[in-house]
Amino acid sequence: MIALPSIAFGGFSGSAKGVTARQVGGRSVLSLKCFPTGAATGAQLARRASLKKISKSWKALSSEQMREWDRLAEHASGASSLGQKAEISGLNLFIRLNSYRVMAGESMMADAPAAEVAVPNVSYSQVVVTPELVVFGGIKHESAPLKFVVKMSVSQSAGVSNGWSKTVIITPGMEDDWGEADVTRLYLKTIGVEPVPGEKVFIETYWLDTATGFTGLECRDTVVVTGESPYQRRVKATMDNLDPTEESHVSSLDVDFSTGSPVALFSAQCLGHSNVASSEVYLDQQLPAEVVGTGMAIGRSNDDDGHINAQSYLVYMYNRNGKSQLTFAHRGGPYYTKTEVFGTGIIY
Amino acid sequence: MFNSISNNFGAPQIQFKDYQAPNYVVLNAKVTFDPTNAAYQACDQLVITVPDLTIDRSTIGGVFVRFIETQSYSWGDAIYDGGTVLKSWIKDKNTIVVEKQPWFDQNGPLTLYFVTMYAQLNQGANAIKGTKQRLTVTTEGNYLRFSSDTFVVVFDHWVFMHLQFSSCSYAQRDLPWEATFEQMPANVTADVPVPGGGNQFHQNCFGMGECHIENKIFTMDRRVMGFWDTGREPFAFAFLVREGEEPSPEPVEE
Repeated sequence: MIALPSIAFGGFSGSAKGVTARQVGGRSVLSLKCFPTGAATGAQLARRASLKKISKSWKALSSEQMREWDRLAEHASGASSLGQKAEISGLNLFIRLNSYRVMAGESMMADAPAAEVAVPNVSYSQVVVTPELVVFGGIKHESAPLKFVVKMSVSQSAGVSNGWSKTVIITPGMEDDWGEADVTRLYLKTIGVEPVPGEKVFIETYWLDTATGFTGLECRDTVVVTGESPYQRRVKATMDNLDPTEESHVSSLDVDFSTGSPVALFSAQCLGHSNVASSEVYLDQQLPAEVVGTGMAIGRSNDDDGHINAQSYLVYMYNRNGKSQLTFAHRGGPYYTKTEVFGTGIIY
Repeated sequence: MFNSISNNFGAPQIQFKDYQAPNYVVLNAKVTFDPTNAAYQACDQLVITVPDLTIDRSTIGGVFVRFIETQSYSWGDAIYDGGTVLKSWIKDKNTIVVEKQPWFDQNGPLTLYFVTMYAQLNQGANAIKGTKQRLTVTTEGNYLRFSSDTFVVVFDHWVFMHLQFSSCSYAQRDLPWEATFEQMPANVTADVPVPGGGNQFHQNCFGMGECHIENKIFTMDRRVMGFWDTGREPFAFAFLVREGEEPSPEPVEE
């Protein structure tokens, strides 16, 4: 087949000179053969290998399982094109849903989900992109098993109006952190360069149901990179904030002051040290003066000897030499060095 | 005040005393259940369904669990009550969850104490510091003493209280205690768990007693045998709801 009269006539299939005609769901589709524009990244290679593996595993399904995928596919829809709703085969649905699950770190599912799952669309109030910060704010929270998927492009000239083909997956599925998704590190790790002020970043987001692999509609957005942003990060201390030059005595840490109420969240796996009934944490930055003070939190022993008793802890928080120190000081209950401090605690 | 709609662990209806702000909730309740019941045995988490709360999820708070154990000897009864603190959170507007741990399944019935603050994060503002007031404790003859970390932080609708027991006159050690907590608002009434104290039969969790607070009066009648054992540091940690509209006295910082 050298030439096709017109797609309007339909009924043709085959490839010639880089043009492919095929029948999909009763429609004629013509496409040019695509060639990668550059060397494949590690992530692309991994994804292609994963797709190949998922495709192959179809053959390992029982006839009954294949029938169930076909049955589900009859009710599910593929991407719409030229105003026609595309049909999708059981095999393609199997590949699509499993590739999303694998992308999110889940295992492949052999059995088809009982029914198509309605996944909500993403809703957020702001997205801020500066060279130092890439964050979504005001995300309408969705509970597990839904996860937030973000695709973004490298920043491009502000005059570019269509850069969607440049987007790559920044996070294959994360939970929003109380309405916030700070993807700064993931962006830099994936894209490799900081966004340039004045340039434009293309963004695609959607919710992924990791239990079934179904996704919500892709939400498209663009944002012009700014040099600075008034966006205020929440005041919190995590293991990422530890001062590497000091020895801290916790194996996990999440102290969050963003409550807007008379308590903070104190969460730490205390390890104790030096035969004193406390664990010290050294942060690489100062805490805002308004939260510096004392907290009181509850804890529970969780040492290797099976102690599970309740304890209370004073949490001293102070700034010194441009850095902060938190001291989890044991007060009530029998003391054991390994103790998990958790929950809301008063601050004064 | 509101009542639970249902629960999945075979407990009776739970009556909650509450203060609900737009971004946090303080709940007080006490409920006892039998861990041998089929519903409890079948559940993975303790789930309580409640009428609409002001918040639709929360971070973790602490709920205490306690069992009662009395052993009888020729010389009398000995108390070996125990317990610990469990993680709890508001899952959605109508659901309170408490983690399920098997530690005391053989020691039922179990009592849960909600003296708990459920807060939300990323609220657009930092935590607000309260004012600590050292509790002045008055007993006849000053027989019961508390450490300097015994204090309250008083708000219009609720109070945070931390007690840390220090010592007791020997003559009073086995008698019921009664004390006046000067800075405690009169409109707080609650049964409050008192973790700590030695417990030779339960050395994983140690002791847990219960005190009662009402009209500024603290009472505590039942205490574990090893209450004053060295290093066992009995204490209380509680967010307590105030009833009615009694205004807060102006706090005096220590």
